[in-house]
Amino acid sequence: MSTADLDLPFIDEAVARIGRGPEALIPILQALQDRFGYLPQEALQHVCENTEITPAAIEGVSTFYDMFRHKPVGETMVRVCRGTACHVSGAGRVEDALRRHLHIPADNDTDPERKFTVESVACLGCCTLAPVIKINETTLGHASAENIPEMVRAYEDSRNASGAAPSTELPGEGNADAHEKPAIHVGLGSCCIAKGSDRLFQALQEAVKKSGMAVEVKRVGCVGICHRTPMIEVMIPGKLSTYYADLTPAEAPALVQRHFPAQGIFTRASRLWTRALDTLLMESEPGVERNAMSERDPTVNAFLGKQVHIATEHFGTLDPLDLDAYLARAGFTALRRVLDGLQPEQVIDTVEKAGLRGRGGAGFPSAIKWRIIHQQPGDEKFVVCNGDEGDPGAFMDRMILESFPFRVIEGLAIAAVAAGAHEGIFYIRHEYPLAVKRVRAAITQLEKRGWIGSKLLDSGYPLKLSIMEGAGAFVCGEETALIASIEGKRGMPKLRPPFPAVEGLWGRPTLINNVETLALVPWIMRNGAEKFAAIGTAKSKGTKVFALAGHVRRGGLIEVPMGTTLREIVEEIGGGVPEGRTFKAVQIGGPSGGCIPSRLADTSVDYESLGGVGAIMGSGGLVVLDNTTCMVDMARYFLQFTQEQSCGKCTFCRVGTRRMLDILERLCAGKAEKKHLEELERLARQVGAGSLCGLGKTAPNPVLTTLRYYRDEYEAHLRGECPAGKCSALITYRVTADCTGCTICAQRCPVDAIPLTPYRRHVINMDICTRCDTCRQVCPHNAIEVK
Amino acid sequence: MSTIDITLDGQEVALQPGQTVLDAARQIGIDIPTLCHLERCGPLTSCLVCLVKINGKLVPSCATKATPGMVVESETEEVHEARRTALELLFSDHVGDCLSPCQRLCPLQLNIPVMLRQIQEGQLNDAVATVRQSLALPGTLGRLCNHPCEQGCRRGAADDPADIRGVERFIADHDLRLASPQLPPCKSSTGKSVAIVGAGPAGLAAAYELTRQGHGVTLFDRHDLAGGSLRDVAETELPREVLDAEIVQLQRLGVEMLLNVELGNRVTLQDLQRDYNAVLLTVGEKGKAEDGKLGVATSPAGIKTDAATAQTSVCGVFAAGAAVKSVKHLVRAMTEGKGAAECVHRFLIGEPVGRSGKPFSSIMGKLDTAELKLFLKGANSEARHTPCDACAGFSDREATSEAARCLHCDCRSAGNCAFQHYAQVYDADPSRFRAARQPFEQLVQPGGVIFEPGKCILCGICVKLTEQASEPLGLTFIGRGFNVRIATPFNRTIEEGLQKVAAECVKYCPTGALEMKKS
Repeated sequence: MSTADLDLPFIDEAVARIGRGPEALIPILQALQDRFGYLPQEALQHVCENTEITPAAIEGVSTFYDMFRHKPVGETMVRVCRGTACHVSGAGRVEDALRRHLHIPADNDTDPERKFTVESVACLGCCTLAPVIKINETTLGHASAENIPEMVRAYEDSRNASGAAPSTELPGEGNADAHEKPAIHVGLGSCCIAKGSDRLFQALQEAVKKSGMAVEVKRVGCVGICHRTPMIEVMIPGKLSTYYADLTPAEAPALVQRHFPAQGIFTRASRLWTRALDTLLMESEPGVERNAMSERDPTVNAFLGKQVHIATEHFGTLDPLDLDAYLARAGFTALRRVLDGLQPEQVIDTVEKAGLRGRGGAGFPSAIKWRIIHQQPGDEKFVVCNGDEGDPGAFMDRMILESFPFRVIEGLAIAAVAAGAHEGIFYIRHEYPLAVKRVRAAITQLEKRGWIGSKLLDSGYPLKLSIMEGAGAFVCGEETALIASIEGKRGMPKLRPPFPAVEGLWGRPTLINNVETLALVPWIMRNGAEKFAAIGTAKSKGTKVFALAGHVRRGGLIEVPMGTTLREIVEEIGGGVPEGRTFKAVQIGGPSGGCIPSRLADTSVDYESLGGVGAIMGSGGLVVLDNTTCMVDMARYFLQFTQEQSCGKCTFCRVGTRRMLDILERLCAGKAEKKHLEELERLARQVGAGSLCGLGKTAPNPVLTTLRYYRDEYEAHLRGECPAGKCSALITYRVTADCTGCTICAQRCPVDAIPLTPYRRHVINMDICTRCDTCRQVCPHNAIEVK
Repeated sequence: MSTIDITLDGQEVALQPGQTVLDAARQIGIDIPTLCHLERCGPLTSCLVCLVKINGKLVPSCATKATPGMVVESETEEVHEARRTALELLFSDHVGDCLSPCQRLCPLQLNIPVMLRQIQEGQLNDAVATVRQSLALPGTLGRLCNHPCEQGCRRGAADDPADIRGVERFIADHDLRLASPQLPPCKSSTGKSVAIVGAGPAGLAAAYELTRQGHGVTLFDRHDLAGGSLRDVAETELPREVLDAEIVQLQRLGVEMLLNVELGNRVTLQDLQRDYNAVLLTVGEKGKAEDGKLGVATSPAGIKTDAATAQTSVCGVFAAGAAVKSVKHLVRAMTEGKGAAECVHRFLIGEPVGRSGKPFSSIMGKLDTAELKLFLKGANSEARHTPCDACAGFSDREATSEAARCLHCDCRSAGNCAFQHYAQVYDADPSRFRAARQPFEQLVQPGGVIFEPGKCILCGICVKLTEQASEPLGLTFIGRGFNVRIATPFNRTIEEGLQKVAAECVKYCPTGALEMKKS
């Protein structure tokens, strides 16, 4: 692109709107990327010429964060999630299939005609729908090598057929007493939308309108039962709720008809006509009853029974953006109490008595942080809500921000008052557009009511709130890197001390708390420290929200008391691993955590117990692994991740993780020797001890825990065997005598490694075979053997 | 202002507020290694070779401010291992050789590329000094050496290796022809004396080294002429006048020669032990046959010695060369003599006896075609020269031209590089982590700055210096993770990024990544 083609007025307008200081850099780059699809060099130079931003800063920052591209993209952007749940569910094969299907050359990410760009992303946070892909702004779950062509076609058809769907993101309507009336609740979290709940929402609205009934079709936040989305709940006052799972928009009229039979001849006639049409549409499909689950349904009971909802209080019933509904459920009463008469010390004492510890990973006692910053002199202080949930396999913070934006704001406001800060910043990763949108809409509503800005609620306490969108860097979850990022720099951590609570953003005292931590605060202030402390274990109080995903029947978003065992989570709440598989391990804490074997499944979920088995609580990603998971591959997967996500500053992390990955790659390729295994262990300990920040210090955990619990698998790889049959260099595919010669495998093989031999046993040419596993998955006779 | 007292390796150190653990170490003379540390840049905490242990945790000492009562461990095995690992990790991604392959292969560690550059530039006296730094008998080796150096010469991959031995002979002959050939610098006298028995290659080499160390050396030989087995070499291969001239050089250096003296006949080992502070037996293949007369324990192979210290069964008596074990090559025999000399030297000054290890060098390995092309740039493209007059060796012109065929595989920073220095001190193994290496790149800028990105350890000093100097473009980190690199923004050249502070950046670069072309 030459300077002449560049939309310079747009750039000038963006600069004028965002600012000219160094801290404006990331938002400006985001604006440019939105406009051009990438960052043309001429545009960057133009920015430097018209702002205080230096060329060194703009190049350094724009190459640091994942979201920024320096090359033009294809018309359609396809992102493949490489999060943990997606990885263990075959994201690699999905990406291979996509690249093949879209004719992307091996050394590029865009096809020669620039129609498609395929990019892998760290985690889209829709782990229960793994593997997940995202085509432009549409997220699609349950992708597989086989259904990729269909998915792409369906996306293109829908885009050609209709323009943009009407938004489901309007502010709530202020039905404070809505729960007194019949209503249909539709979960509209990102996961739900990925499975089409927005279309279902519109279809239901349409159907209700036609029926003429006084039924409210209501958007609600995450219901948590993510494995059955789109999920709706039909609420009729005085009756048990009925949940519907896996509904399609076409079934909306039948559902409305079932629960809300209309009166009056005229409407009935028109309804009959609708039903007739439905019957036609649905042909011989069974009716909506098949999808119904009553609240007393055993699976729903098992899923919800063990849960305690504090951070996710009123889950599935609250319209995320309905401020009045939030107020009707005691929203902002905690903040009001704090403003009306509690001294900051009293607030901090309450948090201390409650035993609240940071939910971002390390479990640092929140009150200590709050007190340090409260004691700092001066009144220029900041509170930051850390919503940079970067762990692959975790989506709790996304869900809380999407479903309970007012609650998080309230928690942050209480923290700000306690700390003496007058500026609050929500740092939310850009991969979570819906979370950003909802928090922004929530702030706007509060501003309209005059409840934030110059005075908080109607007190004299000023509090300004803003949102900073992350740009894609796992390391920015680390406090000092997050601060660097807000300041418009590369997210490179600094040695602590000094801690941010003393010297943080712009050198000022800064309180950084995780989303979930802040979401717990209003409940604690409302219900008292004792009530919170009564839940949990001796040292880990309250509840923890987990993103339960991976090889588990009922994945979802759960909140359980501390002290619940892993077994209860996996087997009771999650319903265990899929039929025919065995429960092998739980990966907890993402790239900083570890793999806990099923024999230790009775480990209690609390900071100390998890640390004791070599893992960490982490932010709450909990990926269940069954016997098809190779633990060496698991370790390799995480090291690949940390190696890419390392800021690249300190030697141990930058080079050390790469060297660990080298050894793991050797192992997965069957080319490692015993000495490599010894070196891996030695280096893992040294990287952990020597790295500068938490990312590097914890990066070896996935290696150390798998070495501790699954050394036999490592040793098998030394012999060139992969017991789980995952490492493609070590396995072969064979057609057994059960083959009937049905030719399905031959037809579906993407690389034509299976000659078509009807009615005869097929043979796989292993020289051509890419181990994509398609044949095994499509074979109706289980005649494909992997060894 | 009151001071902050900390304990570093058991020593109390008083510091000013704001001072770091590294400051404390420097104050009491503990050499904590640093690569990314430059006072004016503030703590960059990137290299992490300055780790110390505080409260059970390893932390970078350069950024850790002292607090009252802090207890720091620095010189412990655990801390050293961590520092060594940091160095080894950095070397695993360091593309370049500190020392050229030819020098690494030379048993006597002659700095061949420097010698060749000096000859190429006509600085013959300097070249002589370089040669004399490593070789006791350059004229002899210039004729007889089996030149392992040439096997490593990278020029060999393009056509033929440089004729290193031929050029060495040229420079030695040039010197010996002068009225007073050059002598190497010697340290002032230590007042200690050494008797060396046997004036063959090993003995001569040992005499040369020990004299340079300031010890008084007396060389005994049972023949009437020094030279040992070298006297058996055909005149056509080693003219006597060359050998004689080289022995005269040793005498000029201060080696006393007592010829026609045989151990066991006129003098005994006891005599030597009485009259000298140490004795070195280099009696050669033939001398060892008369083992009974030597007075030290022997085995069928020769005199029994401790391989690491060259010590015989008798304290203060050392042995080396063919008398210990038969040696095939002249250069090896001389290396043995040189090594034994080091052991004797350490014995004399009261240090633990032993030989120093090989000098540290990062090893790049084989070059691919593109890399070889890069190295060939600037080298003389002519084919390997053969002297017109084989007996006389290279003419001035031939020698200069042959020297110019050198690809200069050594690092410009070698010997002046903190990274190499600490690797040596910490005995780092540059090949602990074997990995596919990055391609070698060299960007020679018209203004003289040379950037070799593969040698950059991403310390961040140059990035900080350009930022502080408000360079219009400056340098920046590009990318993230393992693939971070340093570059000038907007794909501009390094020189464009270094308009104001090029000299400082070159000066403070802790490796050979940024260098200035010497005019």
